Amino acid sequence: MSAEISITGVGKAFDGRKVLEGVTADIHAAEFVSVLGPSGCGKSTLLRLIAGLVPFEEGAIQVNGEAVTGPSAAMGFVFQTSNLLPWLNVRDNLLLGINLDAASQRLDEAALAELIETLGLTGFEASYPHQLSGGMRHRVAIGQALARNPQILLMDEPFGALDALTRDRLNMELLRLWQRDRKTVVLVTHSISEAVLLSDRVLVMSERPGTIIEDVRIDLPRPRDPSVTREDPAFGDYVVRLSKLMGVA
Amino acid sequence: MTRALFNRDTAISAAFFLLLGLAWEYGVRWSGVQAYLLPPPSAILAELWQSRGPILAQSLVTLTEVFWGFIIAVVLGVPIAALIYFSRTAKRTVYPLFVALQSIPKIGLAPLIVVWFGYGLTSKLIMAFLFAFFPIIISTLGGLASTPAHLEEHFRALRATPLQTFWRLRLPAALPSFLDGCKVAMPLAVIGAVVGEFVGSNDGLGNLILTASGSGHTTLTFAALFAVTVLSLLLFYGVAYWERFIWWRAA
Repeated sequence: MSAEISITGVGKAFDGRKVLEGVTADIHAAEFVSVLGPSGCGKSTLLRLIAGLVPFEEGAIQVNGEAVTGPSAAMGFVFQTSNLLPWLNVRDNLLLGINLDAASQRLDEAALAELIETLGLTGFEASYPHQLSGGMRHRVAIGQALARNPQILLMDEPFGALDALTRDRLNMELLRLWQRDRKTVVLVTHSISEAVLLSDRVLVMSERPGTIIEDVRIDLPRPRDPSVTREDPAFGDYVVRLSKLMGVA
Repeated sequence: MTRALFNRDTAISAAFFLLLGLAWEYGVRWSGVQAYLLPPPSAILAELWQSRGPILAQSLVTLTEVFWGFIIAVVLGVPIAALIYFSRTAKRTVYPLFVALQSIPKIGLAPLIVVWFGYGLTSKLIMAFLFAFFPIIISTLGGLASTPAHLEEHFRALRATPLQTFWRLRLPAALPSFLDGCKVAMPLAVIGAVVGEFVGSNDGLGNLILTASGSGHTTLTFAALFAVTVLSLLLFYGVAYWERFIWWRAA
């Protein structure tokens, strides 16, 4: 199987300071891959390079066999902050990506209603972001990326700013969505248990300048469920192994 | 509950201003200050009623000048602010030019404006415009520059064109600051128009103040001053009214 996202020897520096060095990885279609690393290791930068948001000098990144030159409709990006427009209601925020991009496929009313239902936002279509809880704002942000039906979902610590309980619930919903749609997901996170729970593979990054030091395959049965999967002894083994790699155990 | 609180607050305000008025009224009566120096509020109110015809007519003249001066300030100020924001060249040329122009005392310009544009409406609306223009440019610029960087990146990820980013992100993001600028600019436009009327005109509230005080008619001067104040307040709240449509200002 050829790689959907192919990263070869990528390096990036900001103001002469090396952030990424010799990053090489292949991500296949329908894979859920987490990028795990300490703060400031350049994992968010790596995601932005894949998304075509930040130019880079060294190496090559290909998506679907084509070099990345800029943002593409094939990729949806979910940012760390929910990034909703305060002057648009939930419905218009969900449709923002579609409305901005004339080339993207339209979403009919039934599909939109289903998306709103899936996100647990029914009844909030006309609400504005400031009227929503933090967790709901993040669901809208994920919905905005999903509405364009991208082949690849890039997520930059999407739940980083949320409390543990909300984070758990959103992880569960993300898992459910992914198990249904089987999109390719690249998730940047600094939570070890989140990475193990969700991923097929975990790419572990070093301190800055970041490079991939280990590619760990997570062979836990699917469909996964936080309450069941966490009881699995193998889950604990993965967490211990990744903690050692991260130098926290 | 909130309604009762509102009523109590209103009652306190009303009582305060009533007391202030009474203090003025009886202060003037008991101290024996001459009415041509400081008339009591009762005389001013009577004058307002008596001269309501001319006062309303002159208010309308001033309102027209302020209105057009303010509108032109917005219509020219917003695109110029956008130009300064987007063009490095404009930032190095147009922007310092306006800062320099702003530093000229506009009151000193008034006689020139009257010489150039005559005693009519034009010179007054130009004065109102000159006073209102700069705050509108500065506030629009500040608003455009305050567009959150993470939202700009988000728009890039969504592959928005520069035009879309302007209309759908930068402009709405700039609105709260722009409106604050309008709230500063509106009372300034009133001052500009009145100054213009002082320097050279045959009508308007500024002219009324000047002619009334010149002929020793202090009560009418106060009545006209009162009219200017009311006009300015009404225009200010007319601008502030639009805040309810920009509920994201605090977000």
